[in-house]
Amino acid sequence: MAVKTFAAIDVGSYELAMKIFEVSKAKGMREIDHIRHSIDMGSETYSTGKLSSERVDELCRILREFSDIMRTYQVSGYKAYGTSAIRETKNKVILLDQVEQRTGIHIDILSNSEQRFLDYKSIALKEEGFQKIIENGTAILDIGGGSIQISLFDNDALVSTQNMRLGVLRLQEHLHHLDASIRQYDTLIKEMVESQLSVYKKLYLKDRQIKSIIVVDDYISELVMRQGKDSIGGIADRKTLEYYTEVCRTKNISELSKLLNMPEEKISLLYISMILLHCIMKNVEADRIWAPGVTLCDGIAYEYAEKNKIITLPHDFEKDIIACAKSISKRYQGSRKRSETLEQIALAIFDGMKRIHGLGRRERLLLQIATILHDCGKYISMVNLGECSYSIIMATEIIGLSHIEREIVANVVKYNHLEFDYEADENKNQMIDKVSYLKIAKLIAILKLANGLDRSHKQKFKNTKISLKEEELIITVDTAEDITLEKGLFDERAVFFEEVYKIRPVIRKKRS
Amino acid sequence: MGKSNYEDAENYRNRELSWILFDKRVLSEARNKDNPLFERLKFLSITSSNLDEFFMVRVASLKDMVNAGYDKPDIAGMTPKQQLTALNKETHELVDLQYSTYNRSLLPQLHLNGLTVIESHEKLTAWEAAYVDKYYEENVYPVLTPMAVDSSRPFPLIRNKSLNIGALVRKKNGDEFLEFATVQVPSVLSRIVQIPAEKGQEKKIILLEEVIERNIHKLFLNYDIVCSAPFRIMRNADLTIEEDEAEDLLKEIEKQLKKRQWGQAIRLEVEDTIDKRLLRIIEEELRITQEDIYRIDGPLDLTFLMKMYALPGFEHLKENSYAPPQMVPELPLECDIFERIRQQDILLFHPYETFTPVVEFIRQAARDKDVLAIKQTLYRVSGNSPIIAALAQAAENGKQVSVLVELKARFDEENNIVWAKMLEKAGCHVIYGLVGLKTHSKITLVVRREDDGIRRYVHLGTGNYNDATAKLYTDIGLLTCSPSIGEDATAVFNMLSGYSEPLGWNKLSLAPLWLKDRFLFLINRERENALAGRRGHIIAKINSLCDKDIIKALYDAGAAGVKIELIIRGICCLKTGLPGIGDHITVRSIVGNFLEHSRIFYFENDGKSEVYCASADWMPRNLERRVEIMFPIDKPELQKKLITILHMQLKDTVKAHVLTDKGVYEKIDKRGKGSFNSQLEFCNVAVKAAKMQEQLGNSRVFIPEMHHE
Repeated sequence: MAVKTFAAIDVGSYELAMKIFEVSKAKGMREIDHIRHSIDMGSETYSTGKLSSERVDELCRILREFSDIMRTYQVSGYKAYGTSAIRETKNKVILLDQVEQRTGIHIDILSNSEQRFLDYKSIALKEEGFQKIIENGTAILDIGGGSIQISLFDNDALVSTQNMRLGVLRLQEHLHHLDASIRQYDTLIKEMVESQLSVYKKLYLKDRQIKSIIVVDDYISELVMRQGKDSIGGIADRKTLEYYTEVCRTKNISELSKLLNMPEEKISLLYISMILLHCIMKNVEADRIWAPGVTLCDGIAYEYAEKNKIITLPHDFEKDIIACAKSISKRYQGSRKRSETLEQIALAIFDGMKRIHGLGRRERLLLQIATILHDCGKYISMVNLGECSYSIIMATEIIGLSHIEREIVANVVKYNHLEFDYEADENKNQMIDKVSYLKIAKLIAILKLANGLDRSHKQKFKNTKISLKEEELIITVDTAEDITLEKGLFDERAVFFEEVYKIRPVIRKKRS
Repeated sequence: MGKSNYEDAENYRNRELSWILFDKRVLSEARNKDNPLFERLKFLSITSSNLDEFFMVRVASLKDMVNAGYDKPDIAGMTPKQQLTALNKETHELVDLQYSTYNRSLLPQLHLNGLTVIESHEKLTAWEAAYVDKYYEENVYPVLTPMAVDSSRPFPLIRNKSLNIGALVRKKNGDEFLEFATVQVPSVLSRIVQIPAEKGQEKKIILLEEVIERNIHKLFLNYDIVCSAPFRIMRNADLTIEEDEAEDLLKEIEKQLKKRQWGQAIRLEVEDTIDKRLLRIIEEELRITQEDIYRIDGPLDLTFLMKMYALPGFEHLKENSYAPPQMVPELPLECDIFERIRQQDILLFHPYETFTPVVEFIRQAARDKDVLAIKQTLYRVSGNSPIIAALAQAAENGKQVSVLVELKARFDEENNIVWAKMLEKAGCHVIYGLVGLKTHSKITLVVRREDDGIRRYVHLGTGNYNDATAKLYTDIGLLTCSPSIGEDATAVFNMLSGYSEPLGWNKLSLAPLWLKDRFLFLINRERENALAGRRGHIIAKINSLCDKDIIKALYDAGAAGVKIELIIRGICCLKTGLPGIGDHITVRSIVGNFLEHSRIFYFENDGKSEVYCASADWMPRNLERRVEIMFPIDKPELQKKLITILHMQLKDTVKAHVLTDKGVYEKIDKRGKGSFNSQLEFCNVAVKAAKMQEQLGNSRVFIPEMHHE
């Protein structure tokens, strides 16, 4: 049958959700069921680092029911992801194994940026609204239980993304801890948010104009969506939101539940979300929001459909990653010119070596990003360039890169400057598996070589031709300048290259 | 919307008093000489069983309130005490009217038509007396349990609703001391004892309690019977379950059922000739007050008339002008129901059209290899229901079957528990109701995997999934595979399974969360249209209207000029003819051969009319404490059908009563209007449609067989 059924499960901080989709080439994706169960796992994890056994029992019970429902729909595949509540449990490995034993459902953990990327993908799939809205200054505000994520667009590419630990459940936890009354929420939340926000503004926003905010969350979206008439989702302006915030502040919970048509237990989190959003809107001077009404489940399903080549995504996400890397490089005063040269040479070598290294499009992108970020560490120390670059890259989120991909880029940049350490990483960082280790080595070899060719930073090797002849990689340079320095340093770097690829790089100067 | 001008209690009628008016309308059918004689027996029997239930639930709960010192006034401003006082007068009058109907109209008519009821055993002829005595010895005596009361034996527990004979007895050769004795008239035996005809055609019957009374001395051999008389008590039976405390709802109900029979006595019926001394003993033992004693001129508990209705040989005295349920033209026998639903939405109108397609819908789903799941809510189901059988079958065939069984359906629980357990055994996933809410909605969802993906088939109805009552109650059903209703149906079952509510609804409105607001919105929209000078028009057909917010909204709309035509079978707390509204709001009630049960709503909506059907009445309990579903009928041709139904009911001159400004119901003055019986017309329409379809099916074109196996 051409139609496949797929289940996406989101093990969230305050909700377990499953969406059943029908996926087909002809019709794309169609949601046929959406099952949600409120379960507050976040509060426990954020305060104690563990889930109580009652919670685990509840989680397992619901997952077993989910598995029954999947069987009913005869799904051909499923994917379950855990987000911050699971991510932040100390015993997650044991927990997830236990859950799998008891329910048969395997849960993978999403890193923050992976999770945000899935959300982002599902927004981008709402083509009609998305492409139009990001043409003007736009930010995505992704409000989760544990943290929020603000991502900025420049023209139509995403350039920066920042995570702040201001998720609604976490805020609520703080407020409970402070024993705050509902009336105080407004002031307290504003205080908590604004201190972080002003730093953010200085670092990222500068004079950028944000007109619209795309909101991804479980509370405000629901409210705004109801105003919207079609599948695009809902749009609301600041006035409307201010009105609702005021309503939330002045009425009691049961009145609100009736008025806003929401269960009582959601009202408090809705109110916190409102204050948060309002605060952010005021700070960035945005005047309207768009709630596309997407959930993580949508993103999970899109990922599945994309992997299985059932749908193609309309938005160029690689462009976002590159734009993002460039903006990081700019922040740390990296040299654009040098990066460009390095990128050109490195990619040329990569392309020329295709037959040998067997790496794909995605690794080419990682290499490209490594070239863009190759010198970001010098902002901190020109001596410990490698270590500093590594730390900066690992601490900066690049939406669209998985955690392991980020690790690859950071390592490639690091060992571009240092001698490759054959053992250190294997032991120190167990996250890196053998395949990634090899990728790192291969990319380092190329980057090192490219770096050597531009040792003088004078971009002498701008016009380079790469060709592979038996055991040699012939690099033909079309330049009138003296390349003694490069040739001299070249041999030293060529050794590692040769070690990795069993190919000897040779420089030839084309004499015109 | 600002404050209504119609807030005050004087604008509303007490619901219990309005209910009495309803029972009187049923009684008027028993008094109506145009009805066949045996139908009149049936109507009288219905008034009697109605009244029993009314006492056990409504009167009992008022008594509870008084006992608890609760004195909040109702919608009409009456405290529970005031209501009880007013009701007492009304119920006594109603009972008097029941028995004058029985004694003065029905008994003589029965006699004229060859059925004689021997009212007391003293009137038996010698031969007849010999027969009943023999009958007593052989059939009755073995199952009697006589009980005497003396110092060593306490007063026995008298079972709720049971018929008993009380007697005062004196020891033979003893002193003057009188003892109380009682015997229950066994419910396992028929109350009607037929006496074979001595000669001629005439049939004679006598009631069982007369036979026992005649022979009561045989039960107390050492005693002289001083006097004896039948009596019957009614106890508080309102089943309130502490759901938050009940760990297992099922167990709790089983426990409550056993307890129910021993509640407080709230009504005592005795034969009016009862001996004073005998009455005083019963009175004292039951601690019952004078006003709760009903002295009856005739046999107690008239529900035996339903059994009399079933006596063979009187078919000519029964209603036979109404055709039996007809085939649904869109769903001929043995058709593929799913295919038919894919072609078009199908509206079912029971009992004029048969209920079989609904059963067949589930049966076919149970057998269909492509069906993945069947989900259904069940409220009251007939014993031996084919639906239950089909669901069990489906589970055995490996379908995922989820059934929500409502155990809180009044007086039916025992029945429900049995088959709920049976379904569970067959592998169905059974949900035993929701804590704090009664699930009254009628919805079935069939999920089917087809070539182009999952398709959902939904049946929505205004009546229960009960093939027996579907022959007697008028109800609407809709079969559809519209994706938006399918999505909503899935969401309904997710909610019933305990998952969070959906982010939004496409078509359906659900109580207790959204339905009331939806109704208020729809009513208010008409009001706004009327205020803006556009036509506003509402027609609503329901069983009861007693929700204050809804009535207020209707008043406000009526005052704004909206034409509101209400067809309400039972309770109506709304008053007509209020100042500022005048004749903008009219109320009529149809009590006919079939029990009016469907709920249909029409809203003019400035020319883009909307029509809905629902499982809910306009009562607080429906809108606030039950899971109910309202569904729109979108397809213009189906809308037209429903609007026609409403218009035909508004035209009824035979079975309709109109509520006057004085608060009484009056039959329609037929002058200039002719005679129009809407239920009869619906039958005729259904017959015609079925015939036409049959003729189409029997057309003389040969149909070549396209497949060969």
